[in-house]
Amino acid sequence: MRLRKIAAAILILVLTLALVGAIAELPSPDERVSQSALTQRIIGKGVVETGATNLVAAVLFDYRAFDTLGEATVIFAAVAGVVLMFYHAPLHPSAIGLSILAKRSLDVIGPFVFVAGMYIVVYGHISPGGGFQGGVILATLTILISIVYGLQEERRLLDPRFKTALESSAALLFMTVAFVGVFSGEYFLSNLGAGFFRGHPGSVLSGGAIPLLNVAIGLKVGAGLALVFYSMVKKEPE
Amino acid sequence: MFWRSTLLENTIVSILLVFLVVAAATAISFRNVLNSVLALSVFSITLAVLFVLYQAPDAAMAEAVVGAGLVMALFLVTISKTRAEEEAD
Repeated sequence: MRLRKIAAAILILVLTLALVGAIAELPSPDERVSQSALTQRIIGKGVVETGATNLVAAVLFDYRAFDTLGEATVIFAAVAGVVLMFYHAPLHPSAIGLSILAKRSLDVIGPFVFVAGMYIVVYGHISPGGGFQGGVILATLTILISIVYGLQEERRLLDPRFKTALESSAALLFMTVAFVGVFSGEYFLSNLGAGFFRGHPGSVLSGGAIPLLNVAIGLKVGAGLALVFYSMVKKEPE
Repeated sequence: MFWRSTLLENTIVSILLVFLVVAAATAISFRNVLNSVLALSVFSITLAVLFVLYQAPDAAMAEAVVGAGLVMALFLVTISKTRAEEEAD
């Protein structure tokens, strides 16, 4: 036990030194932006090459879209594992929810939260945000509904089979957009080279395939995380 | 980019960083698991604020919705289920 604590302390010390060394590489306040070639290329030509003004979304869904595919795969595998684990748990029948005051409050505010989540997803290529953030907001909205209205009502509104279908079709949308690049002669997950609509940077209809990928990732993450929460709460303790 | 330009920015960022470390330290020092989870939620929100101050709004949004919303809800569900089974013994 003592040896384990010493080993843990040494590991923490090594990691701290590595992180401090990495922070020392960050640009000083005098030069606001890092001068490496990669940063200058993305900042200089990001809007022209991708058509999206949010450069984080341009990196996530155009330059490094393959890593986003990996992240979507990880979330898909996690959701599949959790649903598999809790598959045979029965739904407890008496899930009543909160008082009528809370229910009426969610009646008023729920649609606005939904619109806010969809806004963050759809405008992900213009303003900060994106598919992942908006998708998690939508999943949190389903958690709110299942707390306020009770699990039975939430299951009636959003059937788990509907959530599964939504998640799978969003994954299929991502792969379809990705393979358009291959079938048009360019590479896998190609954006403007594959003929997607470039548009005027700064408007909603711009950025080529980036809004499509944003919507796909948003629906996938939202439906998947809502499914995870539903699977974990479904069996109430007696 | 660790030290900012003005003294006010430096003060605010330093206070938030110290608060971050304090929140993390209290998260591991509680006996009750529920209190630990709440301290972790405070940690997540402070981290989201720090991300905004370091001009990374996408990361701040992701940290806020995931850390302070979804993960904490899942933690609380897990704690309620395991505690109910413990009290049934």
